[in-house]
Amino acid sequence: MTDRAEVSTGVGARLTLARWNIESHGIRSPILRYGLSVVSVAIGLGLSLLLQHYQFHDVELPVLTLSVALTTWYAGAGPSVLAILLATACFNYFFAEPIYSFDVSSRDLPYFFVFLAWAVIVASFAAVRRRIEENLRQARDHLQVEVEQRKRREDEIRILNKELVKRATELETSNNELESFAYSVSHDLRAPLRHVVGYSELLQKQASSLLDEKSRRYTRTILESAKRMGNLIDDLLAFSRIGRAETKKTLVSLDQLVKDVVAETRLDTGGRDIVWKIHPLPVCYGDRSMLRLVIGNLLSNAVKFTRMRAQAEIEIGCADGEDEVEVFVRDNGAGFDMQYVDKLFGVFQRLHLPEEFEGTGIGLATVRRIIHRHGGEVRAEGGVDQGATFYFSLPKAQDAAERTADTL
Amino acid sequence: MSELARILLVEDDPRDVELTMTALGEYNLANEVVITRDGEKALDFLYCRGEFSTRSKDNPAVMLLDLKLPKVDGLEVLQQIKSDERLKLIPVVVLTSSQEEKDMMRSYKLGVNAYVVKPVDFHEFVNAIKELGVFWAVINEPPPGSVKKAP
Repeated sequence: MTDRAEVSTGVGARLTLARWNIESHGIRSPILRYGLSVVSVAIGLGLSLLLQHYQFHDVELPVLTLSVALTTWYAGAGPSVLAILLATACFNYFFAEPIYSFDVSSRDLPYFFVFLAWAVIVASFAAVRRRIEENLRQARDHLQVEVEQRKRREDEIRILNKELVKRATELETSNNELESFAYSVSHDLRAPLRHVVGYSELLQKQASSLLDEKSRRYTRTILESAKRMGNLIDDLLAFSRIGRAETKKTLVSLDQLVKDVVAETRLDTGGRDIVWKIHPLPVCYGDRSMLRLVIGNLLSNAVKFTRMRAQAEIEIGCADGEDEVEVFVRDNGAGFDMQYVDKLFGVFQRLHLPEEFEGTGIGLATVRRIIHRHGGEVRAEGGVDQGATFYFSLPKAQDAAERTADTL
Repeated sequence: MSELARILLVEDDPRDVELTMTALGEYNLANEVVITRDGEKALDFLYCRGEFSTRSKDNPAVMLLDLKLPKVDGLEVLQQIKSDERLKLIPVVVLTSSQEEKDMMRSYKLGVNAYVVKPVDFHEFVNAIKELGVFWAVINEPPPGSVKKAP
């Protein structure tokens, strides 16, 4: 920070100097410029006469040419010509024989021409230098503008950076709050629930013989509701954990993943007639355990909602897009009404009654959250009693790997 | 104070204490349990300080430790036990509501012997406690210097 301050002070000092130079060079008013011409020649003449008075001879040539040079330097071409004329006239009148006349003796004629030539040369040198200086000044002005622009841009970047840091801190705070919220839910919300369940069980055991059928049903309902709430809390915690957990991405063979999940699912559906159609699937780039959860949720849904079919058909395949793959899971189960398709992926949203199909309604919300965290999309198609198809897209392995490598 | 303090239960919630004791009672282990209601008391018991200064010096065969406790919390108790040469051999079972990975990781890193999430379902809860009690207080051979099981 101090380095930067020093640099900017340095730049500032240089800029001030440059501005002073520009101001001293840039006499714009014509009266001033021609006035300068006259004054400078007059001073040159006065000085020459003074020096001559004190017996310094032949100084008029350099002094008067200096006047011409200074005029050219500070006032430009027009005043320069005037200065040359004036200086020549003064030289002729005061210093070339015969003195105090505008005639020039033949002896001093070469001297006079030498003076004139000298004045013209000095003036043109001064003019050339002036032009070069002018160009340099323009370049410097240009640079100065650029430096200022850059400085402004740096300031903007610094402000944006500060903003970004602030945002990051805010995000971290809210993330921490969310974490501690989930933590207290995990710790504190389940304990009273356990007590409701525990004491209801104890009551059922203790007073079962004293209670009538209605009262026994009440205790059963208390138990069931409490257990259901336990499941909801567990699901919600798991869901929130997915949002907070870091994704550990590697190359994942969807083929293998689906095979594993299907094998696992088969263990639980022993008595049912399910036809599995599994098409070849690509390798993608993602978090293996999360993607496993996605496929697990979709397949267990497919199994659940085809329960009433004599022969269930579940098909898994994919459509290869340009830079992403879209995997689908299709079933011939209960399906859903397309007008409620937007609700399908919401947390705790269900399109069926709990008596028809069990579940808390977190599965598809989890699927969507995981796929979004992988940079993909989810969608669904279906009709009532006509089965459903769920799609999820993932960036292709190569693209995703490259993209990640770029950001590293 | 029971001389047969084979199980040290550290639990602040009286309802959880009652449910746990009910579960342990089904295997007649209830009278071998010492209950402390916060981490400070648990450490007092282990170091035979304060109200426990007169107890027999044997270590419990197992310690059932809740994580969320007043004053000194479960993880702090665990840390202290596992960094003390005389106490580090005591088998510690964390018995908690928390399924948070963070708690599990920290407990295991501190050297916990088992981590059990209290099930919401009462039958599962009773089974879990019973099995824990039976395994650690009856089946498992505790390290030397622990309370011996009744012949």
